[in-house]
Amino acid sequence: MKELKDTNDSTVDDSTVDDNTNNTYDLVENISIIESKFYSSKISRRESLKWMSSVSAGAAMTVVYPQESEATSTTGLSISDWPKIKLAPITAKGYGKDPKLSSPSIPWPLTLSQSQLNLVAVLADIIIPAEEGVPSASDVGIPDFVNEWISAPYPQQQEHRTLLVPGLLWVDQEALRLFGNHFIEVTPAQQFEIVDSIAFPTTQTPNTLKMPVSFFAGLRQLVVGAFFCSPAGIKDIGYLGNVPITGDYPGPTKEAMAHLEDLLGKLGLSL
Amino acid sequence: MNTFQGFDYDVIIVGSGAGGGMAAYTLTQAGHRVLMLEAGRDYDPLTETPMFNSNFEAPLLGSGTPDKDFGYYDATVDGGWTVPGEPYTTAEGTEFLWWRSRMLGGRTNHWGRFSLRFSHHDFKGYSRDGLGVDWPVDYEEMAPWYDRTEKLVGVSGNNPGLDDMPDSGPGVLQPPFKPRVPELLLQAAGKKLGIPVVPMRRAVLSRPLDNRQACFNATDCGRGCSIGAAFQTTTSLLPMAKATGKLKIVTDAMVKCVDVDYQGKASGVSYIDRKTRNVVILQARVVILAASACESARLLLNSKSPQFPNGVANSSGQVGKNLMDSTGAGTAALISGLQGRPRYNEDGNTANHVFIPWWGHKSQERKELDFPRGYHFEVGSGFFSPRMAIGSVARGYGKKMKDEVKRLYGTYMSLSLRGEMLPNENCYMEIDDKVKDQWGIPVAKFHWKWSEHELKQVSHGLNTARKILQTMGGLVIVPEQPAEQAIKKGGEIIHEVGTTRMGTSPKSSVTNHHGQTWDCSNLFIMDGGVFASNPHKNCTLTIMTLAMRNASWLATEMNKGVL
Repeated sequence: MKELKDTNDSTVDDSTVDDNTNNTYDLVENISIIESKFYSSKISRRESLKWMSSVSAGAAMTVVYPQESEATSTTGLSISDWPKIKLAPITAKGYGKDPKLSSPSIPWPLTLSQSQLNLVAVLADIIIPAEEGVPSASDVGIPDFVNEWISAPYPQQQEHRTLLVPGLLWVDQEALRLFGNHFIEVTPAQQFEIVDSIAFPTTQTPNTLKMPVSFFAGLRQLVVGAFFCSPAGIKDIGYLGNVPITGDYPGPTKEAMAHLEDLLGKLGLSL
Repeated sequence: MNTFQGFDYDVIIVGSGAGGGMAAYTLTQAGHRVLMLEAGRDYDPLTETPMFNSNFEAPLLGSGTPDKDFGYYDATVDGGWTVPGEPYTTAEGTEFLWWRSRMLGGRTNHWGRFSLRFSHHDFKGYSRDGLGVDWPVDYEEMAPWYDRTEKLVGVSGNNPGLDDMPDSGPGVLQPPFKPRVPELLLQAAGKKLGIPVVPMRRAVLSRPLDNRQACFNATDCGRGCSIGAAFQTTTSLLPMAKATGKLKIVTDAMVKCVDVDYQGKASGVSYIDRKTRNVVILQARVVILAASACESARLLLNSKSPQFPNGVANSSGQVGKNLMDSTGAGTAALISGLQGRPRYNEDGNTANHVFIPWWGHKSQERKELDFPRGYHFEVGSGFFSPRMAIGSVARGYGKKMKDEVKRLYGTYMSLSLRGEMLPNENCYMEIDDKVKDQWGIPVAKFHWKWSEHELKQVSHGLNTARKILQTMGGLVIVPEQPAEQAIKKGGEIIHEVGTTRMGTSPKSSVTNHHGQTWDCSNLFIMDGGVFASNPHKNCTLTIMTLAMRNASWLATEMNKGVL
């Protein structure tokens, strides 16, 4: 399988995927193949195209499948292959070395389509569901943050993009392969079946799931990190700082000290 | 007396950070008139510091990027590991990182504020182990200057009576900040192991001082401090010096060289106005370089003339040599006994309230250790403001995953080693004749190689750190690495010093013990460049102390008419 390469061309460029030329498809073409086999989505064609057009306009991709790919074989029994997507590099400017810190703005355009955001939202709410009195990830706008993150013109974020964008496609392919529908359209039980296959890696996890597992871990880190930075997440985790305390720092509470004394006893330590 | 834009002055100071700020304060208090040149832009912490803004409001949740290496809210302006249009180079096969900023106040706007005075061990290392060189000053000479500096700057901490931490004078230190739960646990572990865990000394006020407020126990000092509690020259020394009416500051003034007259004395400096790109030539009775160790050395090396073909003040050939940073390495553990502990506000002054000073002088005297010189540990722990990294501990998904993240919050502790490096012939900077910055000034080129001393020290330190963490029931989560991989890159700890070192002989040093260059009596260096060694204690307090002492001497010499 071919490693991903960047291209400066915003159009599909199969010359950059030389050793897989025969298996290089325009993404739209690929999806139409998938649709012809599995299509029964409730997502309108228009919406699918919107995702595509947004993707081809903002971030042209080339999808490469390995030869004799099991995923594209007619059996449909094995795990979907990791989509080989070539993403056009993000050329937008960052916020620079002297941004106005008190009124931040994000100068780079967001690149996820509405459909991709819908999928991120479902996955984000699987990762951080609503609980009593605590909102879910999508309730506090985490999908927008994911979009901001992977659209950013910095190396770390672009690396995440090359993991997350194909990962979203993989999740959808997997849903289509297993259940004949897009991920956001299948039942929660079916969604959990797919997520369970990539959320709990063990030494037994097959190699074919290596990238999907990385994808889920990467998305989870973004979603969890962002959620606990949100006002609702800060409350949920119990962070009590970022408030001015005049006078001396008071130190631990009685309860906190009692917990520590107990621990010191267990460890055979003393203050 | 020279005049610039209607302002009369005798002394030019290049740089507005720790050394330049203190030199300007000291000279203006003594009645001298000072023109300060700062390469960066004007900067006002009172209006520009985002104090309570949360990570959630910042791009990418405030995470570091190549634009803002230490995170969105870090105070550094137009700098970091890279400065646009102002590159530096490294010799093939070597790595060195150079943190710069282009702003009034320089790096004092974002530094860690750790303020540990050097001890008698630190000033006379060569006399003990025959390595490096002794300083031309001793602790007894420096002690009263440390007292004055700590009092002026405002340092909180205490006198634990350890040989690595000489006492400050009575009434000098402000009260320390109370330890938090994980720090108390560390103290208990230290007690069992015979390793001291004592209050960190930081240039953060626990009591009001002048027109600066005491710390209100919130918001990261690296953002800068709009209430002036965390020391930076922009809220203290510079406004105080300006209030005398004897200081004028010119920002966006990128000095390119020191000019000399036919007698070989400094006649002034030439700078490039960053806004107009015009060259401005200034004259002065005395020139003080405080542009940071490597910028000042670069300036000297770029100031070539028939009298000084190798650069001004470089007859010893030592300018750029003896470059040192602190060693850096670290490890961390999950302390399961802290899981689910009761919540309370652990912000405090937002850095570690305790630390582990060097405790091995006696062992070294008994030849029990295989490395010279010491290190200390800084401590990371507590219920700190959630940031992106919190997501990295998550496993699985859903409520179960969330509950685990919440249970693990505030249970991690990191120990960061900061140690003394010895000067060696493989670590130095020079001028790269092939590369110029956007102002046409030839850039610095770095050479770097850690020696066995540093690698053995880091091995010892990491083994010790793991033992300490395990004593608290900690599960170490950082894989063990050989010291060559565990040690941070040269420059990465941002304690670079030594490139214009002071000494007792013009043959082996650049300045005398007053920071006065041997070759040019009216040219002084008042930044970290003059360090003869680089003790494990963060360099800023000693830069300021030396600048106060040496600028006081300079003021007297000027009064006497010697200069």
